Amino acid sequence: MSAVLEEAPVTERTAHSGGATSATLDLALFEARRLLTRIPMLLAFAAYVAWIVWRTPKFEDGFPALQNADRATQSGPLLVGLAVMLCANHAVLRSQRHDTERHFGVLVLTPGRRTAAHVLSVVPAVLLVAVGVAGQFGWEALRPGAVGTGSVAELLVGPLLVLLFGAVGVLLARLIPSGFAVPMAIVLFFFLFFAGAVPTGTGERGTRWLAPVVGEMSSGAIPSDLMDRPAAWHALYLLGLGLTVGLLAVVAGGGRGWALKGAVAAALALAVTGGVAQTSGLPAKTVVARAAATNNPEKQQTCVNRDGSTYCSFPEWQPRTATWASVVRHVQSLAGGRAHTQPVLVRQRIYATDGLYSDGAIDPSANPYQVTVGTGWGGNRVPEFSAAVSSVLVAGSEKATGGMCDGRMVTAMWLALSWQPDPMRSLRDVRLDDSVTGSAIVLSPTDPLQMTAGQTDVVRELLAKPQQSVAAKVKAHWAELTAPKVTSARVAELLGVAAPKEADKCD
Amino acid sequence: MRLRGERGAGEVRSLVRELTLPVLRTLPWRALAAGGGLGLGLAGLLRLYGDSLAGWSALTLLRTAALAHALGLAFLLDDPARHTTAAVPTRRPLRTLLRVALVTPVTVLWWTAVVLLIPSDLRPPVGPVTLEAGAACALALAAGALAIRLTDEPRPGPSVAAALLFTAVVGPLSLPARWALLVFPQDKRWEASHERWGMVLAATVVVWVACLGEPVRRRRLFRRRTGSYVPSGH
Repeated sequence: MSAVLEEAPVTERTAHSGGATSATLDLALFEARRLLTRIPMLLAFAAYVAWIVWRTPKFEDGFPALQNADRATQSGPLLVGLAVMLCANHAVLRSQRHDTERHFGVLVLTPGRRTAAHVLSVVPAVLLVAVGVAGQFGWEALRPGAVGTGSVAELLVGPLLVLLFGAVGVLLARLIPSGFAVPMAIVLFFFLFFAGAVPTGTGERGTRWLAPVVGEMSSGAIPSDLMDRPAAWHALYLLGLGLTVGLLAVVAGGGRGWALKGAVAAALALAVTGGVAQTSGLPAKTVVARAAATNNPEKQQTCVNRDGSTYCSFPEWQPRTATWASVVRHVQSLAGGRAHTQPVLVRQRIYATDGLYSDGAIDPSANPYQVTVGTGWGGNRVPEFSAAVSSVLVAGSEKATGGMCDGRMVTAMWLALSWQPDPMRSLRDVRLDDSVTGSAIVLSPTDPLQMTAGQTDVVRELLAKPQQSVAAKVKAHWAELTAPKVTSARVAELLGVAAPKEADKCD
Repeated sequence: MRLRGERGAGEVRSLVRELTLPVLRTLPWRALAAGGGLGLGLAGLLRLYGDSLAGWSALTLLRTAALAHALGLAFLLDDPARHTTAAVPTRRPLRTLLRVALVTPVTVLWWTAVVLLIPSDLRPPVGPVTLEAGAACALALAAGALAIRLTDEPRPGPSVAAALLFTAVVGPLSLPARWALLVFPQDKRWEASHERWGMVLAATVVVWVACLGEPVRRRRLFRRRTGSYVPSGH
């Protein structure tokens, strides 16, 4: 018995120093389990998973550019973050609500350590969101049509947001020990960042990067090295902010000591470094590279030869050249005369001068038999590209298609659409107003084309007829069908359908 | 009506007179002040610095203010002494109505102030926005009453506020476009959306009235298994 008593002080001392840390971790684990099984958390995670499942298959028509897919993972975790903020806040206030604060006074854990445990209890939710983000991005990356490169820093934004929000929830509970603080903070947050209420400045960089999630105006894709988003700095900023808020919560909870103060200073330094670096101006090198990519993309592109035609694209889009080649092959197989074997140059051209900050149009190319292709694919982009190929084969160049207000439009549209799986649907898709009657603008990667009501009627009738019989007539009368100034009535007559009543007239 | 059937109108009046001051003191003034203050603060900022806050939409601001105030109202029925007061002769409908009656003039005054703080050239149509705000506040009150009716929690405020917030965030995102509630005056769905707001208000009031009474027995929606308490000395 006496031996036990003699050794007791020693064991007590070691148990005390190590015990507090392990007790903190134990409490963190317990709180994490409670946090994850709260109803708002379960609802938020269910909504998050539903959002991923609903949104991911439709993203960029199934042909995602991964440099955009990484950013698309950022807004979903916001909901989880808000739920974490609410529940972590609620958990910290539990002891006050149930009036058990006095009982905790006699335990090994100081209030500061208990606050630290609450901050740590957010980490499993952060990891779960990281799994969600990885799943969403992995799903995109594994699609056969995916191109480009994602950025780890962009993917980190979602989980870091949850960390930041959870830490804010704990800090608010320590500063304003009342249940209404967090709902009000969330309302204010939504007003400031989602109602367009924060003065964001006008530049691509600048203060808008201080917002937790930084979106872009343009929905198109550009090569990842031209985007130059300060994503790594932003992730560092969010991490620094999350750590600062979490450590401040520990301080507010009663945590003391030099190590803690040093950690707050270090976290604050991280946040300030990231915050300052991400808002600094755009490097001149990027501006030059973007202008070059818009005006003279040749130097940045690689070219491959398929079936005699050349396909030049930014390196990240090389895997897509085979898909473009199959469209060109389909259109040429239906064309007659020289166009049947004419080699074309398909060049990817983009408007990258402003990065992703704004969209811009690109001028049609004057080079003979050069077709422009953009960075998007799938959905409406397929018939649009097909129309660009066929109109260039008919008119000779993109510039010449602009004035093609005659019967050649009928031939071009039939070539573009008749090989599609559902030509009528493609006709609807390719027209700006989604109609299949009347006059309309036809979209294309460069300047749009125009169809009159009469041309539309002829094309619709041609698409209803068997493809082979029309193809034979197109090949037989190719020279006359593609002659400039041929009327739509004459084209209809040659192809064996009713001629439109009114003459070709474009606005 | 049941109240009058049981006791005379005069008795109710004297009860109300006696209860007014204590109920006034127990109202969650801090939550209401926080909710109302947020809206007033934002509207005041718009008033003072309207030129440099060109991106702020007055309609969004009013909606935010209404949501913040509704979140404050979610705490209205919090009563730490709920289990004690459940047994008093004054019935819950009277006590609840008294609370609502005390907070209504404050709400009306506050809303008038917020609307007047918005510069007149930016102010959206006041009637429809007031309908939205009224529906949001009624939703908060009904959710609070429902929580009291269905659970045994003396202070359901934080949970009610969380549910309200969840609805406010997820609702507009998940409603199909033809049922949209949050539209702008330029939108051609503006009129139709306010018919829907009217329906929301009506349905909410019905739920609220149905939940006014004290639940007959204590019940818990989500029963947690608690450890068995062993008497001391065992």
